[in-house]
Amino acid sequence: MSADSIRWLGGRREVSLALACLGAVGVFRAFSPYFLTAANLTTILQNSVELLLISLGISFILATAGIDIAVGGVLGISAIFIGWSLEAGWPLPATLLVGPLVGTCLGMVSGFMVVVGKVPPIIATLGLFGIYRAAIFLLLGGSWISGLPNTLASLVNGAVWGVPVVAVYVVVFYFVGWLILRWFPLGTAVLAVGGNERAAQLAGVAVGRSKFFVYTMTGFLVGFAALLYVARYRNVETSTGQTIALDAIVAAVLGGSSVLGGRANLIGTILGVVLVRLLQNGFVLAGVPSLWEQVITGSLLLLVLILDAALERSARFKSA
Amino acid sequence: MIAALKRMRLAGLVALWILVLAFFAVRSPAFLSLANFSSILQFSTVLALVTFGQTLVILGGGGGIDLSVGGIVSLSGLSIAFSIKEGLDPFLASLGGIAFGGLLGFINGLLVTKFRLLPLVATLGTFYAYNGLSVALTDGAPIAGLPPFFGTLGQGSVAGIPLHTVFIVLPTFLILEFVLWQVPAGRWIYAIGGNERACRLVGLPVDLIRLGIYVHSGLMAALAGLVADSWLLSARPNIGENLELLSLTAALLGGTSIFGGSGGLAGSLVAVFFFTSFQTGLQMLNVNAIWQLGFVGLFLIFSVVLDTFIRRGEST
Repeated sequence: MSADSIRWLGGRREVSLALACLGAVGVFRAFSPYFLTAANLTTILQNSVELLLISLGISFILATAGIDIAVGGVLGISAIFIGWSLEAGWPLPATLLVGPLVGTCLGMVSGFMVVVGKVPPIIATLGLFGIYRAAIFLLLGGSWISGLPNTLASLVNGAVWGVPVVAVYVVVFYFVGWLILRWFPLGTAVLAVGGNERAAQLAGVAVGRSKFFVYTMTGFLVGFAALLYVARYRNVETSTGQTIALDAIVAAVLGGSSVLGGRANLIGTILGVVLVRLLQNGFVLAGVPSLWEQVITGSLLLLVLILDAALERSARFKSA
Repeated sequence: MIAALKRMRLAGLVALWILVLAFFAVRSPAFLSLANFSSILQFSTVLALVTFGQTLVILGGGGGIDLSVGGIVSLSGLSIAFSIKEGLDPFLASLGGIAFGGLLGFINGLLVTKFRLLPLVATLGTFYAYNGLSVALTDGAPIAGLPPFFGTLGQGSVAGIPLHTVFIVLPTFLILEFVLWQVPAGRWIYAIGGNERACRLVGLPVDLIRLGIYVHSGLMAALAGLVADSWLLSARPNIGENLELLSLTAALLGGTSIFGGSGGLAGSLVAVFFFTSFQTGLQMLNVNAIWQLGFVGLFLIFSVVLDTFIRRGEST
């Protein structure tokens, strides 16, 4: 492949990702006839919804050159509160508010640590993850919340004009995200902060406010994802959300976000999530024990990062 | 006041440690016994070794961080137990396991220096890869039944002091301190952590030093895996769980700056003893071990906020 076409592929992230998805489908179909059935593809898409929402937030955080590995903890804690409100028999609107509210508050905590405490995001969210995991154990008291009532079922099973309602959430949230990034000063500020924080500050961008926004927004999205999680599984375990941070980071990086900040590609993130879930589903159907999932996802992250760095270098070499 | 705070940092940490000892001694008289003292040392070795590696990684700057240490502890511990079970001489198996840990660290180092990945994402990737591998390769089951004589290192003691404290932790600490303060390579670690660009301009082999730091972290983690194997006479695939959080917190609480270039091992070691005393104390009071994880998270954030505060004070 010539350097030109490599650059073109690197520039058209969505194209290469879509090709990768098709390639994965082709390979896995050869391993398992069940892979390419409507039922399985529906399962894959259904399993992607929570990750899609969380990855949207992670894309914004990465755009500011931040990272959040505490999202799994936020998902767990929000889910616990939702579970409790269901058990207590709260009216539906109140229950619907609980998840996003708890998530938003916890997101604000991360934002506060990063902006006011000036703690590097990796340290702040690693510390918070430790705290959240302890909190999840203590809140659950060692047992699971299970057998929750079916109150929230319509939240995941319903359809609007024939379109599954979960798809509507995804489209709406991503559209708003795109609007913010593309048309609002806030989005420009987010990208500017990640591109060059000092320059952004000197140019008068509200650096702190932009960072605070991305963590809060992620918290909100994780809280909403927790709502869907509880609606679907109707239980909360201590291990809820343990590896979702990795999946979300991989999906966003696959989608073209740079961990160095300054870039966000929302369509890419969607395709990244689909690819991650396709691979995870395909490997299981191909007979790889699910214990290998972390190994595969972790290696995928490294592979993408290495390829990205190589593409960037060759692009810079070309233009120099 | 700021300067005093910085100077007092180690003393403050020691004071905090003594405070914790005193608190638990009051709550539970058995806490100050020789037996408990030796159990604190027993528990501190694995964390101490991993923290030594972590401290150097952070000191070397450039956003240095090693999130994969726990995975390396588990994987190299498993490799040692596996080779012994396959009939390899335990001594050779141990050497092989330590070399294997060095190799895993080398992979981290390559990702950071050759492929130019940010350390936090590079080691986040290997964190999942290494931890995942140790669970996947064993189906989550421990490799048990190592020969009893293999337990000498991990279980033996002289005058209540565990053998591994005397023969591994102490010598490692002294050698590393000597290297850090008296050997050029050690000084260079501080130098590249303090001002990487200047070091490159004067021709220091920055990448090579960093690579070495990550290999060292892998070696230390593998050594910790060996001690754990020998202590438990089995290798558990999750033995390294939470060690990344604990070692980072110990290093930062010990006064090493997250931005590299300042700090040292003495503080890290005190922080490790502080943690293990805290842990055994909580156990004696029958407090759920999960509380510890929460406290550690708090300490981590607290120590970085404190560090930022000190730095801000210095720069004005």
